[in-house]
Amino acid sequence: MTDTVAREETGAAQKWSGRNVPRKEDERLLRGQGSFVENIQYQHMGYVHFVRSPYAHAHIKGIDVSLAEQHPSVICTMAGDEIEELLQPFFQIAPEPGAEIRDYPLAVGKARFVGEPVVAVVAKTREAARDAADLVEVEYEPLEVVVDGQRALEDDAPVLHEDAGVNVTWQGVYDYGDIDSALERADHVVEIDELHFHRFTSTPIETNGAVVDYDAGSGVWTMHCNNQLPAVSLFWIASALGVPFSRVQLISKDIGGAFGNKINSYAYLTLLAALSRKARRPVKWTEWRSEQIASGNHSNERTFRDIKVPVMNDGTILGYQVRAIDDAGAFPRYEPLGGVIWAQVLPGCYRFENARVDFSQVVTNKAPVSPNRGYSRLQHLWMVERVVDIVASELGFDPVEVRKKNYVAEFPHETPNGCIYDSGDYHRCLDIALDLIDYRSWLGRRDEARAEGKLIGVGIGSTLDSGTNNFGQSRLVNPNMPFSGNNEAANVKIDLDGNIVVTLGSVPQGQSHATTAAQVVADVLGVAPDDVTVLIGSDMQRNVYSGFSGTIASQFAVTGLSAAIGAAERLRDDIRALAAAVLGGEEDEVVVADGVAMIGEDEDRSIPLAGLAGMIHFSTAEIPPGFENVSLNRTYVYRPPFEVPDLETKTGNLTLTYATQIHACVVEVDPETGAVQILDYAAVDDSGTLINPQIVEGQVHGATAHGIGAVLTEELHYDEDGQLVSMNFYDYEAATALDVPPLKTDSIESPSPFTPTGAKGMGEGGGAPLHAVCSAIQDALRQHGGGVVTDSHNPSERVYRLLHEPENSRAGIRVGNGHDRV
Amino acid sequence: MLLNEVRYTRPETLEDAIGVLESNENARVLAGGQSLLNVMKHRIATPEVLVDIGSIPGLNQVKIEEDGTVSLGAMATYDGLHHSDELVETYPVLARVVGRLADQQVRNRGTIGGNLCYSDPTSNLPPLMVVLEATMVVTGPSGERRVAAEDFFWGAYEVDLRRGEMLTSISLPAPKENTGYGFAILRVSADGWGIVHASAAATFENGAVGDCRLALGCVAARPVRAEAMEAALRGEEPTEENIRRASAGLGGDLDPVSDAHASSDYRRRMAEVMARRAFLQAIEEARS
Amino acid sequence: MEKNGAHGELALPVELTVNGQPYSETAASRSLLVFFLRDQLGVKSVNFGCDTGNCGACTVLWNGKLIKSCMMLAVQASGSEITTAEGLAAPEEDLHPIQQAFAEHHGLQCGYCTPGMLLSVKYLLERNPNPTNEEIRRGIKGNICRCTGYENIVTAVRAVAAAEKKPSSQQPSSHDPSQASEKDPVSAAQRASLPEDEVTQ
Repeated sequence: MTDTVAREETGAAQKWSGRNVPRKEDERLLRGQGSFVENIQYQHMGYVHFVRSPYAHAHIKGIDVSLAEQHPSVICTMAGDEIEELLQPFFQIAPEPGAEIRDYPLAVGKARFVGEPVVAVVAKTREAARDAADLVEVEYEPLEVVVDGQRALEDDAPVLHEDAGVNVTWQGVYDYGDIDSALERADHVVEIDELHFHRFTSTPIETNGAVVDYDAGSGVWTMHCNNQLPAVSLFWIASALGVPFSRVQLISKDIGGAFGNKINSYAYLTLLAALSRKARRPVKWTEWRSEQIASGNHSNERTFRDIKVPVMNDGTILGYQVRAIDDAGAFPRYEPLGGVIWAQVLPGCYRFENARVDFSQVVTNKAPVSPNRGYSRLQHLWMVERVVDIVASELGFDPVEVRKKNYVAEFPHETPNGCIYDSGDYHRCLDIALDLIDYRSWLGRRDEARAEGKLIGVGIGSTLDSGTNNFGQSRLVNPNMPFSGNNEAANVKIDLDGNIVVTLGSVPQGQSHATTAAQVVADVLGVAPDDVTVLIGSDMQRNVYSGFSGTIASQFAVTGLSAAIGAAERLRDDIRALAAAVLGGEEDEVVVADGVAMIGEDEDRSIPLAGLAGMIHFSTAEIPPGFENVSLNRTYVYRPPFEVPDLETKTGNLTLTYATQIHACVVEVDPETGAVQILDYAAVDDSGTLINPQIVEGQVHGATAHGIGAVLTEELHYDEDGQLVSMNFYDYEAATALDVPPLKTDSIESPSPFTPTGAKGMGEGGGAPLHAVCSAIQDALRQHGGGVVTDSHNPSERVYRLLHEPENSRAGIRVGNGHDRV
Repeated sequence: MLLNEVRYTRPETLEDAIGVLESNENARVLAGGQSLLNVMKHRIATPEVLVDIGSIPGLNQVKIEEDGTVSLGAMATYDGLHHSDELVETYPVLARVVGRLADQQVRNRGTIGGNLCYSDPTSNLPPLMVVLEATMVVTGPSGERRVAAEDFFWGAYEVDLRRGEMLTSISLPAPKENTGYGFAILRVSADGWGIVHASAAATFENGAVGDCRLALGCVAARPVRAEAMEAALRGEEPTEENIRRASAGLGGDLDPVSDAHASSDYRRRMAEVMARRAFLQAIEEARS
Repeated sequence: MEKNGAHGELALPVELTVNGQPYSETAASRSLLVFFLRDQLGVKSVNFGCDTGNCGACTVLWNGKLIKSCMMLAVQASGSEITTAEGLAAPEEDLHPIQQAFAEHHGLQCGYCTPGMLLSVKYLLERNPNPTNEEIRRGIKGNICRCTGYENIVTAVRAVAAAEKKPSSQQPSSHDPSQASEKDPVSAAQRASLPEDEVTQ
C-alpha cells in the first residue's frame, strides 16, 4: 500500500475534491434539454443515406445512380470512384505491408464487409434520401469470404486488400524473462489449447451522427459531431482531404455515450466533408442502429492458442506462453494498436516474471473493430484470469489463495515489459469483494444446493484498468509512428465580467467532466463549484485542445483534471501577483478565496476578482507596470511523464496509472438448460484518490453492466457467408435492467504517486465481470462434469454443452509434470 | 428506420374497415403497431394502405359470456388483459403470460389480435391459444367465421384470414373443472427472446392425468402439438418419472431452425425440458 | 377520401397537445411520432437509439400511457395528449421529485436515455407506489441504459417511493435475489456524502 502523496499547498483549504458534488450536467439533461448532435439543424440541410453492401466480399462491377438522381428531392450522390479522386486514402497505423491498405470512406472497387457504405445519397429530406437509396443499382460479383481469423492467416485464404497482398496487419513476438526455462523447471505445466474472446459491441444509446457544413468562402468545414477523439481524427480527416488541420473544426456538445464506438467516425466525417462540398449545403447524417451495429465498432475478437503455464507446487505461477490471433475485421483503422495496448497489462494482476506472446492480427470480411470499453486489455486480462482459474481448478488450488499468492503486493511494481503498476492493494480488494458477498456462506450454500441437484458457483474476476496511455507504444507496432506521450489541455480564465470560465480539450460522453473540473478549479481558486462555469462540450473553434485531446482510455481524471488544475494554478498565481501589486503587499501574502484576493485576512486590503478583471479588460491604464504578460487567461497542457519505449526489447512504461477492479460473483446454473442467473455480485475498485466518489462509482456500475451483458447476452454472430446475424437490438440483446443484478460496491483509495492529484484514470474497467461470471460458471461446472469455460461468451446453450458434454472442453486441457516434458 | 410511403385510414366501423381490406389486397390492418411498424421500418413489409382499427368500438373488451365462454376482443392490449379481473379469474395463465411480454411500453399498445395474426414463430401466444382451445372469431365481407386455434396458424406470418377479413375476437371455452394450465419458456438472458417455449393444459381425474394438451413454440413455423407426449401422459399418474418418460424423444420429432440464439439441436432438447415444466405447472394447478 | 379507388391518405392533419401546448400540423402518414415530435414540433427531449423499438429512448406518455413514440405513427396520435420529460417541470419550476432523485443519486450520466427513463419511472410509481426491486427493474425494462448499469436508477426510484410512502401490503420476498440489496450496500459514494448544510444547487 503506497503512502499518500503530499500535495502542494493550494492557498485555500481543499474543500470540493473528494466529495459528491451535484452534477452541473444534470439540470439540462433531466429537463430534456441536452444538446445532442441530432438536434443540430441548418437551413437547406441535405440528408444522407448510405447504400451498403449486402455481401461480405464482392467486386463492385457497376453502380447506376441514374434513377436515384432523377428523384425530385435528390441533390447529389457519390460513389467510390469519385471518392478515390477526391481523397487520399486514410492514414494507416500498420507498418508494411498493412501500410499499403487503401481505406476510403466508401467502397472502392470492392466491398469487404456486409454493411460497408458503397454509395452516398444526399436529398432534401431524410425520407427522400432513404427512398432514393432504394433506387440505386449496384452490381456485385461475390467473392470467396473469410470470416475466421485462423483461416485468414492461411496462404490460400482470400486476400482482402490486394495492395497489401496478405491478410496480416501486424505480427510480433513479445518475449520477457525466460519462459522456456520456467516451463522446464516448473513442477507442473498446464496446457490450454484454446481460449476465445468473442466479438461484441458497447452500443451507446446515441449512435454516431454529424452535421457537416462546408463554407465555400473560407474552405472551412464545421463538423458538428459526436466523435470522441477529435484532435487525432484531424490526422485522418485533414490528410484525406488534403487540407491544413485548421480547415477542419470538430464541435460536440452532449454525447449520448461512446465507450470507444465514436473514435472511427472520422471515416464518415471525411465523407460528409466531401458531400457537403459537392452538395453545396450542410449535410446531416443520422446513423440508424442496425447500421451502427453492422458497420463497425466491434470489439476485437481474439483467439488464444497453445497456452502453456508453468506452475510450482506451492501455487506460484511463473508466467505463460500464448499465441494470439486478433481478428480486426475488414479495415484496421485504429488497429493495429490493439496489438500492443494489451501489453500494458501483460501479467494482469500478477507477479509473473516470464511471458511470451506471439501476436498476429488479421483482417477478415467482418465489420471493422474499434476500441470498445476495456480495449485490448479486456481480452488479455480475461485470458490471464482464465489461466489462473483453470490452473487453480486443475491443480486443486484454492482460487482465493492462488490469487493472493501471485498478486502483485508491493508498489510501484515494474512488470516484465517495463510497465509500472503505480499503486494498489489487490489483496485487500479481494477480501472486501468476498466479504460483500459473504463468500464463506455461499460456499456452504453451494454445497447444500448440490445435494438438491442445484448448481451454484462462486467466481472471482481480477482486472486492471490501465489509464493514460503513452502513445509511444504505437511505435512498437510501427516504428515510423510520430506519436509518443500524451497530453490534454484546459483553459481557465477570469472572464470580462469577473466570472471564472473553464474550457477543456476533453470530449465528455457522460463522465461528468464539467462537474469534476469545476471541483478542482474551485479548490484552487477558493470558490464553490457553482462559481465556476465550464462551457459544454468540445469545440475546436472555442476551446483549447492539444494533440491527444479527446476522451478515451480511462484518463480524464488524470489528464483533463491535471490540465484544469495546471491552468487554474497559473491563473491563481497571476491573480496573486497582480493583487499584490495593486494592494501593496507581497505575493505570498495574497489569499485567493471566495471571489476575492486579500492580503492575509485584512479586508481593507482586498479586491474582488471582478475588480482585477475590470482592470485587465477595460481599464488598462490602471494596470501596474510589469504585468504585460498577465491577461487572467491561462491555458495549460498537461503532459504525463513518459519516455519513448525501447523498440528493440519492446519495453517501457506504457500507461501512467492502474486502477484495480476485483469482482466476486455467484451464479446459479440450471442443470437442465444451462441458463445462468446471477445471485450475488460485488465490485470492488481502487481508482486512487477520488475526486467525486459517486461519479466514480457510477462508472463502475456501467462498466459492470457492460461486462455482464457481454458475457451472458451479447454476441455478434457472423455466419459463414459473412452475414451478421445479430445486427439490431431485436437480435443483439443489450443488457436491460432485468439482466443486470443489484450491484454491491465498495472501493479503496491507493493514491497514484504519478499524478498531480493521486487520482487514477478509470471508467472502462478491465472487464472484470466477464471473468467473474466465467469463473462462477466454471465453479458450478466443477460439480457436474468438470467442463471448462474457454469462451468469454456463455449463453445457456454453451453452458448446457459444457454441462452435458464436458469431455469436449476438457480435451483441450492437459496437465503435465514440468520436469518430464520432452 | 424510415417507412416507405403509405396511405392511412382510420375507419370508425367494422364494415368500413372490411370494405377497405376487401378492395385493396395491399391493405393491412394496423392494430397496436408493435410488430407491423417494426417490419415497415426495415421495409420488409410495404403495405399500400394501413387500416387503423383502433377507433372501431367494441373490439377491446374482455367478457364472460352467459354460457361461461370468455370473449377477448382482438384489440385488447397485453396490459389490458394482464389487469383484466375477468381474465385473471378464468384463465390466469394468459393474464400472466401477457404480463411478461416485452416491456411496459409494448404492453400498453400491443394487442392479442395483432400478435395472433402476425403469427411469429417465436410468439408466446399462438401455442397458448392452441392449448386453451381458443376459437378465432373472424369477421369479413361474408360475415363471421369461427376458426379453431389449431387451424388458424398456417405458418410463419401466415394465418387463415381471407381477403377482407379481420380477427375481431377470440373465444375461450368456459373454464373446465380440474383443469390447469402452464407456460414455460427458456429465454435468451434474464428476460429476452424466447428460445423455446411450451404451453400446457392438463386435467387431473382420479389421481391421474385426464386429458392434456401440449403445444410448443419457436420450434417450427407454427405451433406444434406434442402429441406423442400427450398420449403417453393420458391416464398416467403424473409422477416425475412418468413425465420424464413421456417427454423423451419429443425433440426427435422436431426440426427447429438454428439461428443467432440457439442451434436446432439445443432447441430440440430444450423443447423436452420446457414441455415437462409447462405440464408440471398445469397438473399442479389442476390438482389445487 | 378516395382517389382512383385508393383508400386512405398520404398525409393528414395532426392536432395534439404536447405538455399542454396545442399543435396543429400536417404529417405524412408514414411519419413516426418520434420524428414528428422532434423534427416538426421541435421537441428536443424525445430521442431515438434503435430501429426496432427496443431501446426506449423515444418513450413518451400518450394520453397518460407509457409508449414508445417510434412505434406509433404521428397520424395515429392526432387528438391525443403527449407528455414528455419537459412536461415534468416547467422551465421556471423546480425539478420534479423524480428528476431530483435522479440528480441526487446519480441516476444519469450521458443523459440520452434519461427523458424516456423518467417517464417510465413516473408511470411505474403512479401505478405501483411501493415497488420491489424486481418491479422497478421490470418497469424500466423497456429503457436501455448503457452508462449507469441501472443501479443508481433503481436507488433513485426507491428514494422517490420512500419519500412518498404509502402503506403497502406487499412485502419483499426473502427468496428473491433481487432483494439482496434492500439494505443499503456499503458504498464509497455514501461515505463521501456532503453534510446537508453544505449541499449546493
